[in-house]
Amino acid sequence: MKRNVVSFVGPLPFLLYFTSALLVMYILAPQKLALYIISAIPIMIISLIALSIIAIMISSGNYLIKLSLLSTILFSFWIFNEMVDGDWGRLSGSFENLLIFFSESLWPPDWSVIEPQAYPVCTVYPLFDFTCSTAWIGLVETLKIAFVSTVFGMMLSLPISLLAARNLNYWGVSYIFRFILASFRSLPSIIWAIFFVILVGFGPLSGVLAMTVYTVGYLGKLQYEAIEGLNKTPLYAAQAMGLSKIQTAYQVVIPESANDLISQAIFMFEYNFRHGTVIGIVGAGGIGYYINLYLKFLQYDKVIAYLIIIFIVVLIIDLISIFARSFFTEGGDTPRRQSWIGVFLPSAMLRSEK
Amino acid sequence: MDKIIAEGEVNRNPIIKLIDVEIGYDYNQPLVKIPDLEIFPGEIVAIAGPSGVGKTTLLRTIAGLVRPISGMLEVCGATHPSKPVRGSLGYVPQRLGLVRHTSVIHNVMIGANAGHNKSLRSILTSEEPKFSSIWSKITSKDAKKHALSAIESMGLTEKLNEPIRKLSGGQQRRVATARTLAQQPSLIMADEFLSELDEETMKMVLNEVTEYIRNSDAALLVVEHDISRAKSMADRLLVIDDGRVNPFISEVTAIEVKI
Repeated sequence: MKRNVVSFVGPLPFLLYFTSALLVMYILAPQKLALYIISAIPIMIISLIALSIIAIMISSGNYLIKLSLLSTILFSFWIFNEMVDGDWGRLSGSFENLLIFFSESLWPPDWSVIEPQAYPVCTVYPLFDFTCSTAWIGLVETLKIAFVSTVFGMMLSLPISLLAARNLNYWGVSYIFRFILASFRSLPSIIWAIFFVILVGFGPLSGVLAMTVYTVGYLGKLQYEAIEGLNKTPLYAAQAMGLSKIQTAYQVVIPESANDLISQAIFMFEYNFRHGTVIGIVGAGGIGYYINLYLKFLQYDKVIAYLIIIFIVVLIIDLISIFARSFFTEGGDTPRRQSWIGVFLPSAMLRSEK
Repeated sequence: MDKIIAEGEVNRNPIIKLIDVEIGYDYNQPLVKIPDLEIFPGEIVAIAGPSGVGKTTLLRTIAGLVRPISGMLEVCGATHPSKPVRGSLGYVPQRLGLVRHTSVIHNVMIGANAGHNKSLRSILTSEEPKFSSIWSKITSKDAKKHALSAIESMGLTEKLNEPIRKLSGGQQRRVATARTLAQQPSLIMADEFLSELDEETMKMVLNEVTEYIRNSDAALLVVEHDISRAKSMADRLLVIDDGRVNPFISEVTAIEVKI
């Protein structure tokens, strides 16, 4: 099997290498960590650009495609230069600023966020007293918001997407429902959260409502695209046999696209969790509330502790989501179940082992 | 053109009636012209002809999936295929159109439900709908019973809960046939429904379908590229010819051929 360069240089091993290197540096010389990061950033950027150009050169045989991709990259650099407006000198002090900000405010993280709060008094067994901490409470609330809004959003988006699919409806009907879905999707969930905070006040209720609305828009689009990608023959057979629209929907369309629908719902849960950390900033509940709180008190060491916790949990949920979805995505006809190791390594490396 | 109609069938209403019908996807370029075609209950008619000539398109037109370009097309007494008419049309597409991620019984139940719709509708639209008969229709296990007997007649009882994607090509074809039989239609349209089957299974499937057609006064319209097989199973043979069979014809026409 022909392997391409991009699959070998997947972002995950790069990230793992980078974080493990940082960890080693932190253990060996905690003071020089910031310097190490700063020196790594330009190398990262340059290597990424070089890698992408090499990938373009190798992957496409067509001269015209190569030329257009290269010119697109050059064009974007030109636009960037226009926007900076010649003031590249601003970059000169940035590294020092980062160094100062990092070493004086951000690092080391204040892990008191996973210790139990003073009030209300924690009554659980001391080994599990982290469940009284703000980080745990915030995370669990974010998870709850993500779960509830994904389920509610799926319940609403499935009927709408069935009405929005062009292969099941007259074009007028499908365009009306497409318009509804697009209008839900047009605002990011944080803007919806601001609306609902105004309507129903602070707390997870407004978070759930905001995330549900956005989920309907986003998941609905994914769903009607999956439905439109269905094989036409079962639909024709159902039409010729005289099944009603509702029967066609729940006997043919939903079973036929079930794998896609489940996989999309899991993806949506993962997506909602990632965005649920943000909506707390406008007061819609979850861990974002505490981040916003400590940002206002300028306690950046606590903020970075929250960010590290979120990073780890998001990574874990991402991996679980990839693993869970691998049960439902198919290559050809037989479902290919992914092993646990396959979640951590890019597929090309697994193939070379066999 | 001579019709082969048995004595006594002349007065019965045809299930399909086509007069001067032109079919195709492009209005300026009709694929096939059918001067006259009538199919009566209890008949088996095979459509044969070279590949790419429009056999499947003819079937799709009769099934109401493609509009005829011109002419008169009557199916079960209706010019436009509406739901009650469609409920009595069985259709086995060439690619079968099975729901691949579900079991055999689910797929056959789709057909059974379509047939169930039809009978429920006919009770509701009858002059005096009786509550007891409606209730018995809604609650009875008729659909399930039909589905199970159709699966049994196709010899798939052991595969009842097997997902479709795990079945072989021939088994899938039998599932599609069972789906149509469970529907109990008055017209079965089948597109190459005997291909991919071994000799023995083919005979079994053909026997079951023929028995159904003769017993319940339905009609079978089957597309078959193999002319000898078409001749062996059908009462009448309709050959769509674009000059490859008979070089003396000028336009693509459906011609009835004596068996």
